[in-house]
Amino acid sequence: MRRHAIGGGWHPRRLIALGLGMLVVVSVAGCMPAPATTQAQDISNLYLVFLGGGVIVAAIVWGLVTWSIIRYRRRDDRLPAQTSGSLKIEAIWTLIPLVTVLVLFGLTVRTLEAVDTVNPGGVNLHVTAFRWQWQASYPDSGVTVTGTGGQPPVIVLPVDTPIHVTLESLDVNHAWFVPAFLFKRDAIPGHPSLFDIRITAPGDYPGACAEFCGIGHDQMLFTIRAVDAAQFNTWLADQAASGSAAP
Amino acid sequence: MTAIDAPVTTVAAPRVGLLDWLTTTDHKRIGILYITSAFGFALIGGAIAEIIRLELAQPGQQLVSASTYDQLFTVHGTLMLLFFAGPLAIGFANAITPLQIGAADMAFPRLNALSFWLFLFGGLIVMSGFLTTGGAAAAGWTGYAPLSGPTYSPNVGMDLWIAGVALVGVSGILGALNFLVTIYTRRAPGMRMFRMPMFTWTILVTAVLILFAFPSVTADLAMLFIDRHFGGGFFDPSQGGDPVLWQHLFWFFGHPEVYILILPYFGIVSEVIPVFSSKPLFGYRALVFATIAIAGLSMGVWAHHMFTTGEVDLPFFSIMSLLIAVPTGIKIFNWTATMWRGSLRFTVPMLWCLGLLYVFTTGGITGVMLASPPIDFQAQDTYFVVAHLHNVLIGGTMFAGFAGVYFWFPKMTGRTLDERLGRIHVAAWVIGFALTFIPQYILGAEGMPRRIADYPASTGWEALNMVSTVGALVLAAGMLPFLLAVYRALRRPADAPSDPWGGNSLEWATTSPPPHHNFDRLPPIRSLRPVFDARIAAEAERREAERHEAGGS
Repeated sequence: MRRHAIGGGWHPRRLIALGLGMLVVVSVAGCMPAPATTQAQDISNLYLVFLGGGVIVAAIVWGLVTWSIIRYRRRDDRLPAQTSGSLKIEAIWTLIPLVTVLVLFGLTVRTLEAVDTVNPGGVNLHVTAFRWQWQASYPDSGVTVTGTGGQPPVIVLPVDTPIHVTLESLDVNHAWFVPAFLFKRDAIPGHPSLFDIRITAPGDYPGACAEFCGIGHDQMLFTIRAVDAAQFNTWLADQAASGSAAP
Repeated sequence: MTAIDAPVTTVAAPRVGLLDWLTTTDHKRIGILYITSAFGFALIGGAIAEIIRLELAQPGQQLVSASTYDQLFTVHGTLMLLFFAGPLAIGFANAITPLQIGAADMAFPRLNALSFWLFLFGGLIVMSGFLTTGGAAAAGWTGYAPLSGPTYSPNVGMDLWIAGVALVGVSGILGALNFLVTIYTRRAPGMRMFRMPMFTWTILVTAVLILFAFPSVTADLAMLFIDRHFGGGFFDPSQGGDPVLWQHLFWFFGHPEVYILILPYFGIVSEVIPVFSSKPLFGYRALVFATIAIAGLSMGVWAHHMFTTGEVDLPFFSIMSLLIAVPTGIKIFNWTATMWRGSLRFTVPMLWCLGLLYVFTTGGITGVMLASPPIDFQAQDTYFVVAHLHNVLIGGTMFAGFAGVYFWFPKMTGRTLDERLGRIHVAAWVIGFALTFIPQYILGAEGMPRRIADYPASTGWEALNMVSTVGALVLAAGMLPFLLAVYRALRRPADAPSDPWGGNSLEWATTSPPPHHNFDRLPPIRSLRPVFDARIAAEAERREAERHEAGGS
């Protein structure tokens, strides 16, 4: 291989290795927790479509770049053909991405309709965020659970039941985030927020505040404990009777 | 016949003292001041990032308190975005744009100097918060109210942050006006708009974006200051104010800002790839229109940072954000087409651009994912977003920024940076980038929130965080060959030729570094590549002369 005065002897293999590494990025970004609500299932499906599309786009771009690096490295001092554009080919790589994003937008709107609607019936839950704890109350039964320092609240909820969450904040912005629900919503003072979830599998799901709210931000944790409807009603009755959870 | 082949006349340069640097209005020196200061802030911001990564390497509190941690990530973000990535672009614009259009200086040289000093002191004022008793600002670089308000951030550091950011905002507005006027009025004869190099185009479009975007954050900061000191209540719901208003005004600046931080760097890539492919830029006009399209769309996407507030129109901001992928894709494809059937030289500037094509692509793809509100419901405020923004800012802005430094260093200083050290620099950054940010994408998908000083061991995030920290150390180590290359180059005599790379645009038609007035003479400007044309013409003339000689004997 001929060496040039400037930058002749570099092996582009390293860049190709990088390309493969980047392929890993896109593939492994799929390590989300198993979706635990019906809404999370819809979000997860959409996510996989975007991820698949992303892998295809990345493969095309990296393929073309890698091919150029290998095939068109300088071999002699001859000047290559001075092509400066092609309307046809540029139209192609304008229109194909345009159609692609319009399709992705259509799927987005469909998913939004499924996950961003409030359904009738079910259980009401009122969540209040404050520095640096959570309070969950069940307005239908008067039960309230409040986290204390070092003791994050356990919020018990029934499975297979629509749950209407009303979220608000008493001080600064917070965000209610349950990774297994693939969902978060900001708690903004003065802006109570409403959303629905429907949990599909019993279990303990860790949750956290996702919007930075000061030095206790990382301590602002909670657990969602999903149980079947009968257990939930028993728990609620116990709490109401013991009165220990009074606000 | 051309300026390129003219013998380099070395007039003994007068000694340049400190006072000359402090009082200069020469765009080339102001450019160097900008670039040097921006890298100074980057080294500080980078050192802070290393502390952050070391703290997160393991669960539990090791290095710094939560309060210090919050100050560190706030100042890291503020420095890197507003005092490094933006001013570095302005630095290149200063050093190169007047040369590329064949001008002797900027339209308003003294205003230009004022812009620089406002920026420098803005950064120092933000950092001075560390010296105050309450510490530096600790509300994130986004400064969300009410956290940044009088009740929750009573420290003076927060006010210093407001003052510093406001100053760099004013600096940006003055600089943008200066670039607009310079590009419109100071072009050399023959330099039509559609003969302007792509870098100059991106500076023009960026200047327009700055004028639209920066006043919004200036107003936001003024309102926050009034809230803090005069009971304004703009962002306090108990006084009828609204915390969401802060976010609208901030992101109305903040998202165009993202493109202010990338368009000039796309411009650099559009300069470097054609030179080292020995081909003209593919689809020049399409790239100009793509740049304008990105700028236009970027004014209508701000609320994609607010999808989880429940307060914005999700489909509208989703489609606007998704559409930006189209002109951005055009850029990537046109750069690849420029290399297609070219004759590629893998110099260090070119390697940075090739690295960008691989790495920035993943940032673009994850950006499309985040533009879909349901996906954002999961990813917002997690390490997925952290990985995405560093993916585009390191794999885009910084890779291209380094390409620009290696590419134009000979023009700015008369000295060439060592290629071997440069290759080590590229390799370390590519590997360091992958090690640092691939784990962060995974952590984000698993649900690790951003801006947390600690995480429980029960989360199982320890191994990935450790890998990410090792990656950050590789990035830091990768700066050493670069700093060494700069140090060595500056100790050598200035002997770089006018056109060390075989360039296309006018900056290569004058000496390295150029004289104070930039050009003794200009080659004819009849296309996008006047210096290329002159080189070909000179070559043809030489061959003709040789043929005559051979025929005559």
